[in-house]
Amino acid sequence: MTEQSTNEARRTGPKLSFILPLIGFLILAGFAAAALFATLSGSRNPAQLPSVLISKPAPATPVPLLDNGLGTLDLADFAGEPLLVNFFASWCAPCRAEAPALALLAEGVTVIGIAYKDKPADTSAFLTQFGNPFSAIGVDRDGRLGFAWGVYGVPESYVIGSDGTVLLRHAGPIDRRVLDEVVMPAIKDAR
Amino acid sequence: MIAELGHFALILAFVTSLLVSVVPLVGVARGNAALMQLAVPATLVMTGGVLIAFAALVWAFVTSDFSVALVTSHSHSAKPLIYKISGTWGNHEGSLLLWIVILVSFAAILTFSGRAMPMVLKTRTLAIQGIVSAAFLAFSLFTSNPFARLSPAPLDGNGLNPVLQDPGLALHPPTLYIGYVGLSMAFSFAVAGLLDGRIDRAWAIYVRPWITAAWCALTIGIALGSWWAYYELGWGGWWFWDPVENASLMPWLATTALIHSVSVVAARGIFKSWTVLLAILAFSLSLVGTFIVRSGLLTSVHSFASDPARGVFILGILLFAIGIPLALFAWRGPQLTNDGDYQPVSREFGLLVNNFLLTAATIVVLIGTFYPLGLEMVSGARITVGPPYFDATFNPIMGVLVLAMAFGPVMAWRRGTLPGLRLVASSAIVAALAAVLAGLALVTGISLAGLAGIGMIAWLGGGILADMVHRMRRTHHVGFGARLGAIQLPVWGMWCAHLGMVVFLLGALGNGLFASEAVVRAKPGDVIDLAGNEITFAGIEARQGPNYVTSTAMLDLRRDGQLLARLEPENRLYTAERQTTTEAAIRPRLSGDDYAVLGDGDAQMGYTLRLYHKPLVSWIWAGAGLMALGGFLAAIGRARRPQRIAELDAPT
Repeated sequence: MTEQSTNEARRTGPKLSFILPLIGFLILAGFAAAALFATLSGSRNPAQLPSVLISKPAPATPVPLLDNGLGTLDLADFAGEPLLVNFFASWCAPCRAEAPALALLAEGVTVIGIAYKDKPADTSAFLTQFGNPFSAIGVDRDGRLGFAWGVYGVPESYVIGSDGTVLLRHAGPIDRRVLDEVVMPAIKDAR
Repeated sequence: MIAELGHFALILAFVTSLLVSVVPLVGVARGNAALMQLAVPATLVMTGGVLIAFAALVWAFVTSDFSVALVTSHSHSAKPLIYKISGTWGNHEGSLLLWIVILVSFAAILTFSGRAMPMVLKTRTLAIQGIVSAAFLAFSLFTSNPFARLSPAPLDGNGLNPVLQDPGLALHPPTLYIGYVGLSMAFSFAVAGLLDGRIDRAWAIYVRPWITAAWCALTIGIALGSWWAYYELGWGGWWFWDPVENASLMPWLATTALIHSVSVVAARGIFKSWTVLLAILAFSLSLVGTFIVRSGLLTSVHSFASDPARGVFILGILLFAIGIPLALFAWRGPQLTNDGDYQPVSREFGLLVNNFLLTAATIVVLIGTFYPLGLEMVSGARITVGPPYFDATFNPIMGVLVLAMAFGPVMAWRRGTLPGLRLVASSAIVAALAAVLAGLALVTGISLAGLAGIGMIAWLGGGILADMVHRMRRTHHVGFGARLGAIQLPVWGMWCAHLGMVVFLLGALGNGLFASEAVVRAKPGDVIDLAGNEITFAGIEARQGPNYVTSTAMLDLRRDGQLLARLEPENRLYTAERQTTTEAAIRPRLSGDDYAVLGDGDAQMGYTLRLYHKPLVSWIWAGAGLMALGGFLAAIGRARRPQRIAELDAPT
């Protein structure tokens, strides 16, 4: 190839495949900037994630109980009082931070745990180390229950009314503030 | 006084970095050699300024100068000297300064080492490195001044997070930073090459040592971090897929791809635009990793928002450091014409597969890391996708990569030979079958995943050995010793790194599938059986450390009644910081580690003990060490036998 024809080839102008990386980056950066500035200006409120399940009955996908693997977790057994259903896992770091708040909550409210995509042995070790606030623990090994509930990730919690309808979803760990400002009001309303 | 000197040196470095960023580029544009040559002395002055500033900050930490605000908030007079020094980079401002130290030092090394380089390429590379340095010096001076004073000075400091008072963590950040920042050189070379509108085999040969060095440092840095997490966090795990770890894994994967693709540019003059893009993306990932996710710098999206000036500045730097080169790539990339083509059975094609898989793995990690962060930004919820996601996505990609890895090296440039391929394929299949049969025979109740893993590792090991045999056969020397000697050092480096992968996988598999674990509540005198050993809980005692007090459990590890070791896991209370840490007790052996952690408890209730036997776990880090060693061997080999670059410019 001579120098001339190389220069000829150079004038073919921009090609789409070479622009794509820039476009992809600008989209991501735009998203990040929008989120950052919205957070800075205070217009974006760390609100609850919407859930299509709100005011609908909680999906009843049977999962085995952690204790022996023989029984099945049925939320109907707990009907007649508000519940908190908490999806957690031993591999989930923020779940460790929830332990104190959940222990406090469990003094007055029935708390049901769902071990999400976790090995039962790991779940047991986790509960030994960080405490067990749960009245019953379901094992959702393959995540099928989580899928039915629309779980984004762990930890995630749901307040279920006395009649078995979903009242509130909270994604992320429950700390004292969330407990006082989000979870407890929902449970009070349910009573 | 020393602090003011440091601050002044930092300002001097910033002003000089502006000079490095602008004047040499003007020189290139005007063809003015005098202006171009300014890049070298100006880079050296900039480097000197930063080094003086860093030395001043270390001095402030070592002498516990509590009139410096940073020292007060991150140090304490009762701390051992080594942790006073490492405390310098155990915080946002100091770690940023360390980052800059490495950034400018690499530029300074280039001024000395790149003598044979074309003047324009070298000048442009230095100028780009200067622009990056200027941006971060401005970030440091205007938003994160490490030398800010505190008046009146307090009597003592607030201490350093006790988890960070650890030799592994004293070394981990500097090593990792050398890797992250080493990629800035690949980046600067790529941008300079785009400005030249010319990437050739010589370019690849100049940039290659920087990529290899960065990759080795990243490998060691990640391994140190993983090792630290293993023995310090007390969870017995070695990789948690948390955002901080992923932030270092992504540049590693991209750099692994880059090492392979740049070798194609160096040997064949093709894959140019892809290599340039990869160099830009690898550094972008290390920027994103260091500054958005890393807890020392910006704890999470929360601290991003809590300090608006920093958040906006960082976003600005990222936009400018990633966006402009990508725009340049869109404009100039199409000009990078390839010098040839490649065949489906050739090393070029094998490396293309390698790059495709590594890029896919990087994207998978990127999504798994930023989906939760993105969700947090949008909704404020902090969740994690965790290992199930990565097991389902990352592991299969790596599995295919490992299978393909057996074949890559035996293929020759341009056109692979079938005898070599046949030898590798038959060896890999025989080794895999033998390993699977051995697994079935020796391990009762082995899982399907375990068999697949063993087979895959043997496949790769068999393939590498076959490649060794094949290459030694091909040399014209007679006798085993002479044949060994005929193999060039870079090839040994490649084998070493690939065998490192085998060793790493053995460790990961042994620990993942065959680990035993017991979590018990025990009282002194209790005996626990684990993996054929007896562990006797002898008792608990309180001990006094240099700046902490402990509660230490004494566990006697016996096999067949014979005392093997006393394990002493402890919980420490750091008195200055009022924080506790868990120190696991580990008996490391090549065949596997015994690992014990003391949980909470009291004399009445008993104490929670977590005991593990982890077969082959240390092979994980040994494998990483071999990989890094392989990188060093390859780099040394190329430095000793430099390719005659002048010849490359001649038409082939």
